[in-house]
Amino acid sequence: MTKPRNRSVPDRESSGTHPLLSKRYGRRKFLIKTGSAVMASAFGAIPLRGYAAEPVNIGALYPTTGSMAQIGVGCAAAAKLAVEMVNEAGGIKSLGGAKLNLIISDVQSDTTVTRTETDRLITGNKLSAIHGCYASALTLIASEVCERAKVPIITGSSSDQLNKGRSYTFTPFARASQFAQAQLQMSKLVSDKPKVAVIFENTAFGTSTSNGLKELAPGEGVEIVMFEPYSAGFTDAGPLINKVKASGANMLFSVSYLNDLILIVRTVKQVGLNIAINGGSGGFVMPDFYKNVGKLAEGLQGVAHWNHDIDANAQKVNEEFKKRTGDFLFEYAGGLVAQTFMLADALERAGSADPQKVREALSTLDVSSGYAAMAPGGKVKFGPDGKNIYGRPVGVQWQNGDLASVFPKDEARAPLIKS
Amino acid sequence: MLETVAQAVINGLLIGGIYALVSIGVTLIFGVVKIVNFAQGEFVMIGMYISYFLATYFGVDPIVSLLVSMPVLFVIGVLVQHFLIRRVLGPNDMPQIFLTFALSLLLLNLALLLFTANYRTVHTSYSDEAFHFGGFYVPEAKLIAFAVAMGLSGALWAFLHTTDLGKAMRAASQNRDVATLMGINPNRVFCVAFGAALALAGAAGSLLMPFYSAYPFVGQVFVLMAFVAVVLGTLGNVLGALVASLMMGVAESLGIQFVGADSGLIVVFAMLLLTLAFRPQGLGGGRMR
Repeated sequence: MTKPRNRSVPDRESSGTHPLLSKRYGRRKFLIKTGSAVMASAFGAIPLRGYAAEPVNIGALYPTTGSMAQIGVGCAAAAKLAVEMVNEAGGIKSLGGAKLNLIISDVQSDTTVTRTETDRLITGNKLSAIHGCYASALTLIASEVCERAKVPIITGSSSDQLNKGRSYTFTPFARASQFAQAQLQMSKLVSDKPKVAVIFENTAFGTSTSNGLKELAPGEGVEIVMFEPYSAGFTDAGPLINKVKASGANMLFSVSYLNDLILIVRTVKQVGLNIAINGGSGGFVMPDFYKNVGKLAEGLQGVAHWNHDIDANAQKVNEEFKKRTGDFLFEYAGGLVAQTFMLADALERAGSADPQKVREALSTLDVSSGYAAMAPGGKVKFGPDGKNIYGRPVGVQWQNGDLASVFPKDEARAPLIKS
Repeated sequence: MLETVAQAVINGLLIGGIYALVSIGVTLIFGVVKIVNFAQGEFVMIGMYISYFLATYFGVDPIVSLLVSMPVLFVIGVLVQHFLIRRVLGPNDMPQIFLTFALSLLLLNLALLLFTANYRTVHTSYSDEAFHFGGFYVPEAKLIAFAVAMGLSGALWAFLHTTDLGKAMRAASQNRDVATLMGINPNRVFCVAFGAALALAGAAGSLLMPFYSAYPFVGQVFVLMAFVAVVLGTLGNVLGALVASLMMGVAESLGIQFVGADSGLIVVFAMLLLTLAFRPQGLGGGRMR
């Protein structure tokens, strides 16, 4: 049962079977044409003095529901804070003080949803750029969609895959492989002859990080005595820690999200294993980790692409974030505040909200001061692979309930405590 | 080597005790009411949150809060059976599946809404401690959980075999129509069975709390294992589910130890497939015990 569809006005007109009616349609066409011209000028296609500048749409893809919801909600809060900061400072001046308009989209901690949500966000809105999505597994997919749609995406996700064969993806912070190097160098602060056990969750984030560790270990003079993937979300860390104990390691690298790491740290204590633990990044550098693990967290080490004490600007943003949410500004959220300012810098120089032009401006970004340069190393400039050529991680340690930067030496805010 | 195996077996048995509490609940409901309760994991989650809030705001030890979580979940179970499940009991399975699955989604998202996705942990004096003897270690919290789980399973078994109500339950599970003819009120029996099953889920939640984090999705971790155990131990067989749960805990632990830490579940599912291939009625035989 098919219903004959009404053809559209231009269709009927072009068919030319109703010459007598053409006049009527001609008037309608005239109205459509003049109307759209008026609309276009009103909404800024033809910029006129005295009109408020059209806001610049920035998409934000974060998992505000699902298994990563807690982090995603924190990211969304930081994204809002960053946009407010840019707007309060006068918006994008080269666009007549245009305000940033943040469009947050929930990717539900799910790869399939990430694909459809990214698509929906891009097709449904006139976006200048996107940032997201926390987990590398999600960001990899969002980045693919952005590449196809030619919309730049800037992300703190650490997977090295994000720098392969992509031209609209920008990663201003340290890569997974760099995390590995920093972790290995930190282990030498603990012991002259580090014997390392590596356990990692079998996800994109876990495997890329741990493969980096494995490749770099010989060069750094670190021996890896155990290398073991595990399935995330296990119920019992006992058997895994059993294996660590049997390996004779004196340093444990655990590449895990929060829940697993809590189990691991507790089990290490129960087994009575005296071993220095480096939790890497992920769940380890979240305020919640300390709340859940408590005193056991003291002295545990990790690496991050961002920390709230790296410079004066970071400390300032941290204070404001703390006031709003009650927790310190965690790695990923702090990084995305800096990213928002990088986007603002690019928009400023591009003088256009066109995503292609924003991409061009991002690729020539070169900052060493202000909020946009709020990154370990203090400078941001993208190479042809979208990687910040100055990007490096920061080594951190839980000290008195706070995350202190302890590595490298020239950026350390506190000395490493050997446990 | 032998020591490593022994430690792996200890670890496996301890976590198997928790799997048992969840799977016994599932199998009890299946055996008596003849429906699959997909929401069982979410009731474990509710039990965990009850213990979490009692511990955080009133300083009640999570193990003691069992005395609250079990009755509360029992009442919830009776209400769910009386007002929801009863309406869909019929020759068609579909509405039952949709109902319990919807219940699972509803509870999960309600928890996300009310409690957010935060991980919540309770710290007790025994949370991070363990007994050490002869090179082995037994985490205190898990040992307590295991002991209480076995005690509750035993109590349920005794209830099913010695009390009139328990015998009525078994009768209703064997043949509902004949049981009704013998003067057994099926709805009453179903209410008690559903309540008891949920009380066990609540107990599992409380027992988990000293060593596992509560979060809205926590139930899904355990319910998967529970379903495998229920099939492995013959649908509806309480003793079978208990034994299967312990076996699965041990299999998982040995799998992690000797196959790989991401292969624990492979061993468990291999066990399930082999059982289904060679003994499709499950390990426990075809009857409810």
